[in-house]
Amino acid sequence: MRNPLNLSRRGFVQSAVAGSMLMPGILSELLAADSADPLAPRASHFPGKAKAVIFLFMSGGVSHVDSFDPKPKLTTDHGKQVTFDHPETKNRPGYEKLFLKKPNWKFAPRGKSGTEISDLFPKLAEQADEIALIRSMHTSHSNHYNATLGMHTGSFTVARPSIGSWMSYGLGTENRNLPSFLVLSPQMPYAGTQVWASDFLPGAHQGTRVVPGAEPVANLKRRVPTEKRQELELNALKAFNEGHLATRTDESQLAARIKSFETAAGMQSEMPAALDLSKESDDTLGLYGLKRGQADGFGWQCLVARRLVERGVRFVELIHTGSSNNWDSHGNMADHGRLAKEVDQPIAGLLQDLKRQKLFDDVLVVWTTEFGRTPFNNTADNPGREHHNWAFSSWLAGAGVKRGIVHGSTDEHGMKPVEKPVHVHDFHATILHLMGLNHEKLTYRHAGRDYRLTDVEGVLVKEVLS
Amino acid sequence: MSSTRLLFVLSLCTQTGSFAFAADPMDHFESKVRPVLVKSCQKCHGPEKQRGGLRLDTKAAWQAGGDTGPALVPGKPDESLIIKAIRNPDPKLRMPPNEKLADHEIAALVEWVKDGAVDPRVGVAQIGGMSLDAAKQWWSFQPVKRPVVPEVRNSQTQPRNPIDNFVLAKLSDKGLSLTPPADKRTLLRRVTYDLTGLPPSPADLDAFLNDTSPEAFAKVVDRLLASPQYGERWGRHWLDLVRYADTAGENSDHPLPHAWRYRNWVIEAFNRDLPYDQFLRDQIAGDILWARAEGERRKDEKPRTTILGFDASFMQPPSSFDQRVATGYLAIARRFGHDTDKDMHLTFEDTIDTVGKTLLGLSIGCARCHDHKYDAITAKDYYALYGIFESTRFAFPGCEAKQQPRDLVKLQPLRPELAYAVVEGTAKNAKLQLRGDPEKPGAEVPRRWLEVLGGQTVPANSGSGRLELAGWLTSNANPLTPRVMVNRIWQHHFGKGLVQSPNDFGARGMAPTHPELLDWLSAEFVASGWRIRHFHKLIVLSAAYQQGSESRAEAVKVDVNNNLYWRFDRRRLSGEEIRDSLLAVSGQLDRTPGHEHPFPPEKSWGFTQHAPFNTVYETDRRSVYVISIRNRRHPFLGLFDGADPNATTPQRQVTTVPTQALYFLNDPFFHKQAEKLSASVFAKPEATRLDELFRITLLRPPTAKDRTTADAFLTSYAAQLSEPVADRPKIAWAALTRVLLASNEFLYLD
Repeated sequence: MRNPLNLSRRGFVQSAVAGSMLMPGILSELLAADSADPLAPRASHFPGKAKAVIFLFMSGGVSHVDSFDPKPKLTTDHGKQVTFDHPETKNRPGYEKLFLKKPNWKFAPRGKSGTEISDLFPKLAEQADEIALIRSMHTSHSNHYNATLGMHTGSFTVARPSIGSWMSYGLGTENRNLPSFLVLSPQMPYAGTQVWASDFLPGAHQGTRVVPGAEPVANLKRRVPTEKRQELELNALKAFNEGHLATRTDESQLAARIKSFETAAGMQSEMPAALDLSKESDDTLGLYGLKRGQADGFGWQCLVARRLVERGVRFVELIHTGSSNNWDSHGNMADHGRLAKEVDQPIAGLLQDLKRQKLFDDVLVVWTTEFGRTPFNNTADNPGREHHNWAFSSWLAGAGVKRGIVHGSTDEHGMKPVEKPVHVHDFHATILHLMGLNHEKLTYRHAGRDYRLTDVEGVLVKEVLS
Repeated sequence: MSSTRLLFVLSLCTQTGSFAFAADPMDHFESKVRPVLVKSCQKCHGPEKQRGGLRLDTKAAWQAGGDTGPALVPGKPDESLIIKAIRNPDPKLRMPPNEKLADHEIAALVEWVKDGAVDPRVGVAQIGGMSLDAAKQWWSFQPVKRPVVPEVRNSQTQPRNPIDNFVLAKLSDKGLSLTPPADKRTLLRRVTYDLTGLPPSPADLDAFLNDTSPEAFAKVVDRLLASPQYGERWGRHWLDLVRYADTAGENSDHPLPHAWRYRNWVIEAFNRDLPYDQFLRDQIAGDILWARAEGERRKDEKPRTTILGFDASFMQPPSSFDQRVATGYLAIARRFGHDTDKDMHLTFEDTIDTVGKTLLGLSIGCARCHDHKYDAITAKDYYALYGIFESTRFAFPGCEAKQQPRDLVKLQPLRPELAYAVVEGTAKNAKLQLRGDPEKPGAEVPRRWLEVLGGQTVPANSGSGRLELAGWLTSNANPLTPRVMVNRIWQHHFGKGLVQSPNDFGARGMAPTHPELLDWLSAEFVASGWRIRHFHKLIVLSAAYQQGSESRAEAVKVDVNNNLYWRFDRRRLSGEEIRDSLLAVSGQLDRTPGHEHPFPPEKSWGFTQHAPFNTVYETDRRSVYVISIRNRRHPFLGLFDGADPNATTPQRQVTTVPTQALYFLNDPFFHKQAEKLSASVFAKPEATRLDELFRITLLRPPTAKDRTTADAFLTSYAAQLSEPVADRPKIAWAALTRVLLASNEFLYLD
């Protein structure tokens, strides 16, 4: 079978070298697996269906009962009083009484699969036949900070390595001119940089943040005015470093640092190339809802993500939006409508584009949020919804994932999973599996203990695997 | 360690019941019951997993039971949880899950319980994850004995002090020897960075080269140890261990405007050569010790400051070296959640974790949810210490739910200075938390010392127990504290410890490469009055420290990792050393000590998880004074493997990644330092410029080859420039300066 990612990786390495006087010898170094290099490609535990992940994270908590989890009973029972020992309303003044609250958006069966999705995501709904929707997600904390940390690291309290770092550690990366793990996050998320930190894993596995604007990655932009000047500096540096190395044998560290400058120079050209959308057709830009020349917004994030996985980046996370002005619609659920407009077309476009580019069989797309929102509130007329960690919806699509299925369900009001509950740890185990990694075997010895992304939990959700 | 204590534990653990049975029940157990337990129960309730806290693989284990109490009542099957579980008609509650035992198997178990549950499976006496025998023999729990210094024969190198005797003895066993001594320049760079974290100046080198006396190196060492930069360097090592930060780490990451006093106290403690045992006692119980000493002072001393004959010392600014400030070590424990008062169990875990790993090399924090899996640490040990910290009042930093700080410690009655520190709270024992869940309290545990180290309890009416804890930690009966610390000092000179898992001296850690040397050093450390500075001198004056770093093929064959110290390990500068060196060579380094950060006033605080505190304040002071934010790592220190401000960092990683190279190519701070340096070099006559640049950056004159490379670079670079002709040489020199500051020779120490 054709393997576009591996082919493109070789192609890109070669093209990065071609026409450059900077990097004699880099080709063989890049194409040879270097065991001392933490980012060298590593064999998976078993052949994985996916080669790369695009992780779409909706920050703030997307309401499941308004989007992917239809609850007609919530409409008919609107205003009915309910009693729950709920973490967000317990002992909270003004929340002594709770009332069910109907969804703001209408649901309808979509595509051949008939999966019900609401009008909140009309474009995405057209892609219903491509996704494996999980309606029985649940998580261990109802605070943004903790739940966001949990969704990224499997730990709800202390910092641990991020899922992207685990992936980078487990598999290395295909293109050494780009970091293995990139995070497109215009704003800082809840829990800050811990979301993409490598923590105790080697620093090479930490996520590199990309922001829209003049300098998407720190220090990426050449500061000396011309390429030729930088080339002279790099050549002189190499000459001094090689002179230094000549009298010091057996020093892989010194050699590795010499190499890192060659890679950095490659990155300096390849990263802007990956971010340069000027060669994309109008048709493609349109899929993502982008205007020509536009270099921000979630459409930009999605299209850049496609271009990054195409170039061999292992894990690309897109955060919408950050720790404020996000999906946390306490005040008014109508805000979900505004936010959905920002992501609906881009995500639908991404799925279509991946298929067009024949990447859909190589790339796993994950859509999630940190928790759902309460199917109730302290009055039925309260226009907002609170945090709800008992149940929420997420979906997977692409490599190794069944198309057009629904997995698990919640009760009649969307309060709790009733069928096949999927905890965050299970979700992580499944994502790792799709990449060819066994979550119980992907371990790192730290402070005398073998740590895992899934801690001591995690059950693979086999039903979503194709 | 008290062996009587261990014997007592042993006798408790081996007591068995005294049912009288005919042979028949024993046969029944062996033929009908044991196979069922092995096949269907022990996978989840045995040595591997203890679901519900329950083990069924020994009699003592089911007698102790799990979270819900003893697993069975001998003679009463209907009251026995195990029988209820296997009979339960609800498949969700039935045991084993996903499988119903066959009727004859159920009947066999019922009969067994009915007959008194005879069970010959006597467990081995355990403390946590170790058998009592193994714990008694575990190397790091053995008393420190000062070994005889081995004689050295057949060595080309003359030992300079006992360290060399130990190192050479091991080397000669393998037919290896030390590498010939490093040259003076290499040695000066090495020792100056090791002791101060800064590069030597060209004048330092000249003085050292010109001093041909045998004491020349010792004089350098004394000068470095006496400089205030020594405490900044070694204080930073300690701050790594105690996960120092200037923010609290909870969801909104509140600033800690007073934590800097603790940071500076640590630096000053090193500069004053405070004995290590006192250093620890102050950090655990400085407030209690201060109050006692204050009582003595009031009795004995005349007031130092008087106004009209009255004692006015309370109006004086507080000393920068106040014992109460030292308890900042405990207070800076990480906070968690939205309302941090509700998650203090996690803060205590963080405290116990760093006390265990940092001071004892033990992962006590692992015993929060269950007995340690591998080490001689029990959940009771954990909650015994937990009670001590729960009886202590920690300063409150503010959080999203309660913005304003409280419980800060006022240092002088009539002055504004505050310390982020702890004081005594209400003394009470803690209850076990089942599975680490504070909502599920178990039995009360008396506040006491670790069982394996003696298990002494906190006497009644003696406060929280921190004072006792400080005593146990630094008692002669505790061999871990000196061993762990001398290993750290060794590590920061040689790049790795004699125990290469510096925070883990337990079962999952590594055995010492030189156990006798480790013990000799530990004994020497205690005998010298726990003086750290004495120790630096001992180490750096050894031949082992002063040898060269060249590799040798024949030695690599025998000991590829250099565990025997046949050469000195080359190392990259740490993130702090890189930044401080750039500032030093550019002449921009502000060598004055840092104080507080310019945080916004507390009254204005309204930090939330949506908008947490995350401002990075810039400074030209040394990196130890750069702000450390828990939830948003400092970009530079994050890039160059700085310490994790959220967890104890015993050893820095050294990663080499292209994003670091991008820093040296394009970072504005880097460019600025290079420009400052090149401007001063360019001001010299042209003929001496290259010598000057090499002297400042690399502490050596350029070689002929260096000159050729540099000249060719300057010429071709200037030729590329479009700037006015007069400016071109200056621009080219700035570029050459960047090249040297980015070079491996600048970044690595031989």
